Amino acid sequence: MTVPILRMQGICKSFGPGIIAADDVTFSVNRGEIHALAGENGAGKTTLMKILYGLEKAQRGEIFLHDRRITINSPKDAMSHGIGMVHQHFMLVDELTVAENVVLGIEPRRAGLFDRKAAEHLVRSLSERYDMPVEPTARAADLNVATKQKVEILKVLARNAELIILDEPTAVLTPQETKRFFEQLKTLRDLGKTIVIITHKLPEIKAICDRITILRKGRTIGTYFVSDISESEISRKMIGTEPPPERFPQADSAGLPRLSVRHIWCFGPHGKAALKDMSFDLRGGEMLGVIGVEGNGQRELVGVLTGKIVPDHGNVILNEGILPSSLSSIRKEGVSFIPEDRMNDGVDLDASIEENVTALLRQNRDHLVGPFFKSRKLSVSGRRLTEGFDVRMGSLRDSIRHLSGGNMQKVVCAREIDACGTVLIADQPTRGVDVGSLRTIHDQMEALRAAGKGILLISSDLQEIRALCRRAIILHQGTIAAEIDDLSACSEEELGLYMLGIKRQEPVSPEVAHE
Amino acid sequence: MNNPSAWKKFFAHLRTWLIGPRWQTALIETVRTLGAIVIAYLIAFVIIALVSDDPQNAIRWFVLGPLSSSAERGEVLKNATPLLFAGIGACLIIRGGHFNMFTEGAFYAGGLIAALAAIYFDLPPALAITVPLLCGMAGSMIVGFLPAKLKTAYGVNEFVSSIMFNFIVLWVGVWLISNVVIDVSSGDNATRPIPDPSRLPILVRDTNVTVGILIAVAVALLAHLYLNRTKWGFAVRMSGDNPHFARHIGIPVAKAGTHSQVIGIGIAGLGGGVEILSNYRRFNWKTLPGYGFDGFMVAIMAKNKPLMVPYAALFIGYLRSGADLMAFNSDVAQEVVQIIQGLILILVASEAFFSSSWLRNRIGALKFRKKPDESGSEVADHV
Repeated sequence: MTVPILRMQGICKSFGPGIIAADDVTFSVNRGEIHALAGENGAGKTTLMKILYGLEKAQRGEIFLHDRRITINSPKDAMSHGIGMVHQHFMLVDELTVAENVVLGIEPRRAGLFDRKAAEHLVRSLSERYDMPVEPTARAADLNVATKQKVEILKVLARNAELIILDEPTAVLTPQETKRFFEQLKTLRDLGKTIVIITHKLPEIKAICDRITILRKGRTIGTYFVSDISESEISRKMIGTEPPPERFPQADSAGLPRLSVRHIWCFGPHGKAALKDMSFDLRGGEMLGVIGVEGNGQRELVGVLTGKIVPDHGNVILNEGILPSSLSSIRKEGVSFIPEDRMNDGVDLDASIEENVTALLRQNRDHLVGPFFKSRKLSVSGRRLTEGFDVRMGSLRDSIRHLSGGNMQKVVCAREIDACGTVLIADQPTRGVDVGSLRTIHDQMEALRAAGKGILLISSDLQEIRALCRRAIILHQGTIAAEIDDLSACSEEELGLYMLGIKRQEPVSPEVAHE
Repeated sequence: MNNPSAWKKFFAHLRTWLIGPRWQTALIETVRTLGAIVIAYLIAFVIIALVSDDPQNAIRWFVLGPLSSSAERGEVLKNATPLLFAGIGACLIIRGGHFNMFTEGAFYAGGLIAALAAIYFDLPPALAITVPLLCGMAGSMIVGFLPAKLKTAYGVNEFVSSIMFNFIVLWVGVWLISNVVIDVSSGDNATRPIPDPSRLPILVRDTNVTVGILIAVAVALLAHLYLNRTKWGFAVRMSGDNPHFARHIGIPVAKAGTHSQVIGIGIAGLGGGVEILSNYRRFNWKTLPGYGFDGFMVAIMAKNKPLMVPYAALFIGYLRSGADLMAFNSDVAQEVVQIIQGLILILVASEAFFSSSWLRNRIGALKFRKKPDESGSEVADHV
């Protein structure tokens, strides 16, 4: 009979009044199962796991491990109880090797010095036992995302974790990589490890998890056997209403080209070409998807379009003129830009929600008298934008730091979509965002497209691009591996083959070939 | 307001404001600062008790001396005035994300230029104060533009270059008052006397408090408005908080950085002018006055908020007065106060001390202890 290895009871956590992340949450996990912790963003999944891992402190509640009550004040405590966590954003030191990263903080020593041989041996034996092939001497910087994830899991295993928490592990993986990753998780489970996956992707829950606990607004809705509950039931319990209907992109009302990229070449710091002879058009009234495994030129492409990188060859035509060289003048042409890195580029964590959502309006003449702000008008605009995007918050004047990731992203999207005059460049606009927020953001982007603006959607989520775009380009190693005119006619497997560079489309567009 | 629902709405607003994170943050920061001060004072008392034969007397002068008479209270205000200017200047510089120490040189340059303008320009009485002050301010801004621009245009570390500029300004000034504008009859390396119409009028009788402190408070208000209500201040704050974000929303980060440094330096320069025209008959500074450095201490205590600077400056002014009185009336050396100031700064600035998450957890726990029908259901809606 299965016994709970871990039980969390009556957990309460608030980040200041009005922002309750956990309200009397109960959560229990059995030994040797894969347990999904599901819920919208801001439902409290990550917070609950951070409490378990000692990164946050609960104000009330108890944690029992093997029916013994324990207190966890730091990740070190959690580790000593055999609890390990892999974060959504990897925490590897790029300059160090895989082995060095794995043993960081628990270095094997010989004669008081770091014993590299022992470290590499440890990594090798772990990766064999758990079927996670990694080269211990490789540098972390040179690894691809999937391998980095393996290293993170090895890091946890090296610390003798029995219970492994994975925060949105598949957000950065291609469909093929995800499949492989799931097999590895099953191996781990069969070897007696217990796994908790924080996720909101329903197919994955169905594919791999044994049980599921659903959270909504900081409360436990219930724990179910995955085999006993349907996807739509899970979704209903997560968001409290019917799941969003699957969207099929309408035929694009193709307008004039708003943004034309012509034979762009970009060379990286070591002379390696990051973009090779890339050309495409973005028309008004269309949403063009950019598909590709991360690190295949997306960052450089966005860098060129936002004036951060000057292409070494080729040019970009924006609204029939040459793309200006600075972001502020590009913005003056009506381009707005949802950045990939929300925390760094998207918001000022020290400023209020209102200041963040009106940051662009604050440079706009309508909201200024001379150099002074029209405070009332700004707060009206702030309220209009946050309400339009259904940002769940206490007060507009609160620091944006207190918002959950999904709500923070809605603030960013509200600001950029509102300011969009001609073209929107959306770089991973819904990464790590819950179903409800995702729907709001998608609706608003779709409305913007219908209003005749051109949208370039860069996303690692294939489902997102398939739901919103009709046309897409697939990047592989800085080139366009394929240009798909009708996504609905192309299977996911085929897209995966293009993404991995196994298959390529011959350059057919005469314009690209001859110009 | 007779309408009961209007009252209800008002109280609901009041309540969200009172229990909102903003108020909580303010409370936490105040408690933290006060806690740091109390601990630093306790340590100071221990030190005084160790070095003094009559610690009771020493502590009495140290703590109560500055408040004992109106002349002493005036001394506190006099001490606080230059710290106020320097503190506000430092606030603007820090908020823009820089650490430009030229506030120090600006104090010197502002004082010297204001004195020279007062002495050598033949000014009508109506302009005898404003013109020298503005000259001092403008002069220091022109010099201060160089380290600021070097930082934002070429990435030259402003901390190092501004300290070097301090010495350049100091030695140019010493050379001037020793060779060019020297008044031999003074028996010192000093300028001619500052004409009476240019001296700032006394504000409170029988003290040394001049209208300088009013100017300082007005500057604090203007700095607050500048930072929080204008597009320039917004650009400065965003560039300082998160330059990536500032660039993303199209703010010229380098320009905003130069901007904030030059304005901060100008305020320090104005402070130098006010100091000279308030408290000195001639300009005779042969070392850097030290106010510029103190300004950074004041700014850090005030959490870089211009409206909090007057309190921090008053506190440091009070601390200085107490130290002077204790040194004069007891056997404790004035150096002790330097130790106390150092302690306070360490305690106030250290984030680990009373870390805000520690306190926030206590406060959050209080809320959960309430009965569920009081707050539970309503608050949960916001999540």
